[in-house]
Amino acid sequence: MVVSILGSQIIGIIPLGDIVFYMTSFNLFMFAAALAFTFIIAISKTETQVEAEFGSLGDREIKVAKKEFKFRRFLAIICGLATAGAMVTGDIFDFTLFVCLIGIVNIGIVGAVKQIDVLDSAFQYGLIAMIASTPLFVGASLILAATGTISILAINSLTYTTPMMLFGSILLFLGVAGETGVAPFFATKAEMFRTPGSPFLLIIHLSSLLVIVRVIEILLIINKPF
Amino acid sequence: MKSIGRIWNSLANPDRIPRLYALVLGIVLIAGFLIPIGLNDHQLYPRPEPQLQINAQDPLAPYDRGGVTFEQRGIVKAQYPQYLPAIGEITAYLSPIAMGVSGTTLYYGTSIYSSPGGLIDEILYYTRGFDTVLESSILMMAFVIASFIALNFTMRRDD
Repeated sequence: MVVSILGSQIIGIIPLGDIVFYMTSFNLFMFAAALAFTFIIAISKTETQVEAEFGSLGDREIKVAKKEFKFRRFLAIICGLATAGAMVTGDIFDFTLFVCLIGIVNIGIVGAVKQIDVLDSAFQYGLIAMIASTPLFVGASLILAATGTISILAINSLTYTTPMMLFGSILLFLGVAGETGVAPFFATKAEMFRTPGSPFLLIIHLSSLLVIVRVIEILLIINKPF
Repeated sequence: MKSIGRIWNSLANPDRIPRLYALVLGIVLIAGFLIPIGLNDHQLYPRPEPQLQINAQDPLAPYDRGGVTFEQRGIVKAQYPQYLPAIGEITAYLSPIAMGVSGTTLYYGTSIYSSPGGLIDEILYYTRGFDTVLESSILMMAFVIASFIALNFTMRRDD
């Protein structure tokens, strides 16, 4: 089967019923990167933050307790697997579900910390992630209504673009922007990174980075600007 | 110039971000009323007219897809039928309790009996089965996080 998506050849597909995972060299690379990073996180230990005490020579170490460490490692692994799945999925509704899973797990990774400032900003991020599930699924359903299908491979072979598809993809992008917390909505996530436990926090960054790249690819496939 | 800097600074406050997001979303949704509605007639998962099966006094009302279990395939469409060799074969299956209940009431299809043991929605469990797996794992993660936070109050109580 010689089909090309955005100029790159499809190497292979994994059919799970109507949900078909497809692999091009582009998203296969992102899939491998997400899996490799997840593996590194699974075998690594957390950092320890050192705070200097004022007026003396002593230091104060902020360590992560073992119970909290295990919980955050579990959620970080789930987040990495969801990111890897979102990279190769060939179905828009499936993609939105992966993004939703990433959003809720991101809240959990910082929900286990013991700093009130961080918990406050995690709460605000949780509010955005919940609001963002509305445009996320509305966008996917509008694309389904406008094209009659939500398989990316089938949408790729369509020749037309309607205003409703454009509106659906704007809503999809807004939903992903809210779930992953990109540029104008970044302040909540920036506060969340101030807690100890570095490698688990980095998966929050990596997942939003990869998901944004992937959603731009999907929007290019839907709207065909070239 | 100074006012632009003030706007950027106000974006650094996490409390204002959900409001900003809600505002942007509201503007986009209101702008959506201006978009001409262009629906595609060849939908992937077609449905009958909303009240058609109810007016026909069908007890399985919105979910009747026809067919006989393992003998005659029901009406289930799929994007890739080549990957679904057994599509439509069990969509007419009713458990013994479900048969009894559907004989007594006209509203069986919308009652609690119909799911999950009674009527098997093949689009949910076979055609798009991976979505169901993901949905339940999202729910499970939400419960995991909520129970962890409820069991270990993750706040410094002495602060």
